[in-house]
Amino acid sequence: MPRLLASALSLRRDPRLMKLPPYLSLLCIVVGVVWLFLLPLDDYSRRTYISENALLPGQVHTYFGGSDQNVFRAYKHETDELAGKGNIEVNDKLESIAKGLGLKVGRQNFTYSSAGNTHSGQNIYAILQAPRGDATEAIVLVAAWKNVKGELNRSGVPLVLTLARYFKRWSLWSKDIIFLFTPDSIAGPQAWVDAYHDAHDSSRVASLPLKSGALQGAIALDYTRETRFQSVHIVYDGVNGQLPNLDLINSVNHVAGGQMGMGVAIQEMWKHSNSYHDRLQTMLRGMLKQGLGLASGPHSSFIPYHVDAVTLQPFGDGWQDEMAIGRVIEGTFRSLNNLLEHLHQSFFFYLLMQKERFVSIGTYLPSAMLVAANFTIMAIALWVKSGQPDVQEVITEKTKTAEEAEKIALPNPHVAVERDLFLPLVLVAVCQFLGVVPLYLFNHLSESALIPAFVLFTVLSAILPFLLSNLLHTSTTSTTTQQYHLIRSFSLLLLGMFLSSLATLNFSLAFLVGVFSTPLTFVRPCPNSPILKWLSLVVLYVLSPTTVVFVASVLPGLDEKVGYGLGEVLRQAAFAWDVTGTYTPVVVWCVWWPAWIVGVVSVLGRPGGGDKKMKKA
Amino acid sequence: MKLSSILRLPALLGAMLLGTAAVVEAEHTSNWAVLVCTSRFWFNYRHLANVLSIYRTVKRLGIPDSQIILMLPDDMACNPRNAFPGTVYSNADRAVDLYGDNIEVDYRGYEVTVENFIRLLTDRVGDEMPRSKRLLTDDRSNILVYMTGHGGNEFLKFQDAEEIGAFDLADAFEQMWEKKRYHEILFMIDTCQANTMYSKLYSPNIIATGSSELDQSSYSHHADNDIGVAVIDRYTYYNLEFLENEVRDTSSKKTVGDLFDSYTYEKIHSNAGVRYDLFPGGAEAARSRLVTDFFGNVQNVEVDGSKNTTLEEDMLALSKTIAALRKKADEEEAISVGKEDTTTTETTKEMKNETLLTHKSQFAKPLTDDNWLGKKLSALGAVVGCAVLWQMGSWLESAQK
Repeated sequence: MPRLLASALSLRRDPRLMKLPPYLSLLCIVVGVVWLFLLPLDDYSRRTYISENALLPGQVHTYFGGSDQNVFRAYKHETDELAGKGNIEVNDKLESIAKGLGLKVGRQNFTYSSAGNTHSGQNIYAILQAPRGDATEAIVLVAAWKNVKGELNRSGVPLVLTLARYFKRWSLWSKDIIFLFTPDSIAGPQAWVDAYHDAHDSSRVASLPLKSGALQGAIALDYTRETRFQSVHIVYDGVNGQLPNLDLINSVNHVAGGQMGMGVAIQEMWKHSNSYHDRLQTMLRGMLKQGLGLASGPHSSFIPYHVDAVTLQPFGDGWQDEMAIGRVIEGTFRSLNNLLEHLHQSFFFYLLMQKERFVSIGTYLPSAMLVAANFTIMAIALWVKSGQPDVQEVITEKTKTAEEAEKIALPNPHVAVERDLFLPLVLVAVCQFLGVVPLYLFNHLSESALIPAFVLFTVLSAILPFLLSNLLHTSTTSTTTQQYHLIRSFSLLLLGMFLSSLATLNFSLAFLVGVFSTPLTFVRPCPNSPILKWLSLVVLYVLSPTTVVFVASVLPGLDEKVGYGLGEVLRQAAFAWDVTGTYTPVVVWCVWWPAWIVGVVSVLGRPGGGDKKMKKA
Repeated sequence: MKLSSILRLPALLGAMLLGTAAVVEAEHTSNWAVLVCTSRFWFNYRHLANVLSIYRTVKRLGIPDSQIILMLPDDMACNPRNAFPGTVYSNADRAVDLYGDNIEVDYRGYEVTVENFIRLLTDRVGDEMPRSKRLLTDDRSNILVYMTGHGGNEFLKFQDAEEIGAFDLADAFEQMWEKKRYHEILFMIDTCQANTMYSKLYSPNIIATGSSELDQSSYSHHADNDIGVAVIDRYTYYNLEFLENEVRDTSSKKTVGDLFDSYTYEKIHSNAGVRYDLFPGGAEAARSRLVTDFFGNVQNVEVDGSKNTTLEEDMLALSKTIAALRKKADEEEAISVGKEDTTTTETTKEMKNETLLTHKSQFAKPLTDDNWLGKKLSALGAVVGCAVLWQMGSWLESAQK
C-alpha cells in the first residue's frame, strides 16, 4: 500500500501527466458521441411498456360510431360555415352548440405581444362535469381552430364537439372533461393553461371564469384533412424539451396501434422500418426538436405544468375515418379516467426511436455528460498548468546555462506559482455579461428590425474578439501565458458547469451546444504558427453561434423543401421567448456565445512578457 | 298400503340411527367463513369480485351472514368508473350481480388492516366491537379462510400501506388453536406466489391451498370489456366452476380432495399448491373431508348427556381408580393392623373388618362397565319386543278385518 501511494505520488509529479488532459478530453468527446450512436441498438434501447397499472389501455369496447357519424356530419356542416369568420363569431357558435349539449361554457381573452406583433384571441371551453365524480380532477380535450402551420382544423373541431355530445351520454367519468377550443395552437393553449393554474399575467391574459379540478392529462386533436386517413402521428414535444410521461404515449399507441389497428408514427417519420437507420433518424429528430425547445402543438403548453399531453394528427391515405380517431380518443380517455393519481410511474426523460422503443435518461445521459465533462477536465488542467512555471522558458534557460538552470528548475515544478487572477476574471465576466445584449435585442426588437439586427450583431461579434485581443496587448499591458491559461480555464469551467447541469434538464440542447463547442477545448494561443492560428479561427467561425443559427434557418427543415428563413426563425424564437418561456436563447447567447468569444480571443492571443514573475517563483 | 308404510318405519328408524352416527364422525357444529380482499383501487376490481363470488357460494351453501366475516377494502359497485352502477360481476356474461341487495360487508374501506384481521382471528377485540364483526367460533367450528390480493414471497399486501407476513398468519392460527377457536380450517389464498403464504403454518387441523408457487404469478381469467377491467382470477374462477357444477347443495358428497384434483396447470396457468401435513391423518384424512364441511353449513347438533362419551369414559376411569385406591388402602390397613396387634383375637379382627365393611358401604356405588353388553342386549331386546308387539297388534288388526 505505501509503495502504491508512493508510485501514485511520483506519478503526480510526472511531467507526462500534464500532457494527458487534452487526450482525455478528446476521449470524452469521442465516447460521448459514439455512445449516442449506439443507443438505437437493441442492446441499449428498451421496448416500451405500460408501467401504471391503473391505465389498462385498450381494455374497453369503444362505442363511438354509428349514429355519431351523422352527428359529426351535422357539426362539420356547422363549423364549415364558420371558416374564415372572426374568432368571436366562431366562439359564439361553439358556445351555443356546447350550451345546447348542457355543458357549462367559459371564455377567456388573451393578448400577447412579441417582435412588435400582437397575438390576441379568445379561448372558449366547456366543462362536462363527471356525473358521479367529485370534481377534483379533470382531463382536457383540445381542438385548436388552427394548427401550428396555420391550417384550419376542419375535422378536429366538429369531432371534438361530437365527442362532447357522446361523452355526455356516459355516466362512468370519474374526472371532469374539459373541451377547449383555442384560436391558434400555441398562444391560446398557453394563455388558458397559465390562467387555469393562476400563473398568468392578468394584464395580458384574462382569468378563467370557470374551473374544474386538477388537470390529469390532455389530448389535442389536429385533424385538418377531410378524407380518410391511414395512421396517427403522435406529437409529444413540450416547451423547453420537456416531455409527457411515457405511459401516456404508450397508452395512445396501445389504443391506436393495438386495439384499433391503425399505424402510429412519431417525429414525422411517416415510414419507419425499425432499422438502425430509421431509429437513429427518429432519435436525432427528437433530439433536435427537444434541443430547440419550441412548442410543437397545442399540447406543449400543458407539459410545463406537469399535465401530460400529446397531440394526435391523422395522416396518410387509408380507410380509417373520423369515427376511428374518435374511438382512439374515447379509448385513451377511458384509460385516463382509470387513473387514481397523476401519471408518475413511467419515464419523463427518454428518447423515443420508434413507437415502441426508447432509451431512458440513465442510458443516454452519460453521452451529454461526457461531452460537458471534457470542458471541465480541460479547465482543471489549465488551472494546474497556470500554477506551474512555463516549461518552455525553463528549458530555453536550461540550454543556456545548464548548471544554473538545474538549480532553479528542479524544485520549481512542484511549487505553485502566484496566479494573476484579475485580468482573466474581468475578461470572462465581461464576455458573460455581454451575452445579455443579443438576448435582449433579439427578444425586444420588432419583426422588421430582426434581420438587420442579426446581421449587425454577426459582424460585431466577429470583430469583437480582435478588439478584445488588441485591448489585451496595448503598449502598456501585456498578457502572459499564465493569464491566457486562466482565461481559458475560467471560460471552460463555466461552460462545463452550465452544460452538465443543463444536460439533466434538456439533454439534447446540452449535447448539441456541447458538440458545437468542442473546438474550444483545444484552441490555444499559437503565436509561432500562423497556419494553426488561421485554421483554428476558420473552425471557430464556422462553428460560431451566429453561423450555426444562420445556417440552421436557411437549411431545409425536417419536412419542408426550403428552410424557414432567418426572419421567421428569429420571429419564432422571440415568440417562444415571450409566450411560452422557452429558454434556448439564454443558453445560446449567455452560455455558448461568451465561451466562443473567449475561445477566439485566446486563439488571437500573443502571450508574452510578464516572465519576471515566473522567474521569481 | 298402510301396512307397507308401517313396515317401512323401523327401517327408517334404523337409517336415522345410522345417519346420526355418520354425522357425529364430522364432529363440527358450526361453519364460519372469513373472506378477505386486501386490495383497493378500480383496477383491482377482480379481487373484490373473487371474494364476492366466494361469499355468494358459501351463502348459497347455507352459511348465514352472521357467520361470514367479509372484508372489502373498496367499493367497486359505487365507483364512478363502474359502467354498471351498484353492481359487481365476476363474469363478462354479467349473469349474476354479486353485489345484489343482500350483502353484509363487515369490514370495509380502511378498516381492512392487518391489525384488524389478526384481531378478528384471535378475537382480541375491545368491548365496543359489535358481535357482527367478531369471529365467534369455538373448538367445534370449521372455518373457511379465503384471502385474495397482491402477494409476494411470504407476504400479502393489505391495501397499499402494509402487508401481513406468512409468520404473522401462522402465529395467528396458532393462537386460535391454543384458544380452541377452531376445529378445522380450510385456508385458501389467491395471490401471486400464494403458496409461500401458508408455508409457515404450524398449527394442527389446517388444510391449506394456494394458487401459485414461489416466483409464480397468479393470473386473471378474463376481462369485461364494458367494465374495462379484469373481473376474476383464474384460480378463483376454477374453484367456483367446481363449486357451482359439483357442489350444488349441502348434500353433495364431493370431497376436498376432489376439489384439489380439479386444479390443473392448463386451467390456472400456475401451479396451485395444497398442504396436508398439518392435518391429523395426513393427506388421506384431509382429502376425505367434504367440501361442504367448509363451504356449507352442516347443522350438526351436539347433545349433552348419554351421548357425551368422553365424560362417561372419564367417570368410569375415575371410579376405577377410586376402587383400586380403596382396595390398596384396605390392604395396607389390614397389614398395618396385623403388625400392630398380632395377639388380638379373631373376634376383634372380624369386628374391625365389619366396621370397615360398614364404613365402605357409605361410599357411592362405583360405576362399572361389566354389564355393558347386557345393558345393550336388554335394550335391544326391549326394542325388538316392542316391534314384535307392534307387528302382532297390526297383524291381529288386519286379521280381524
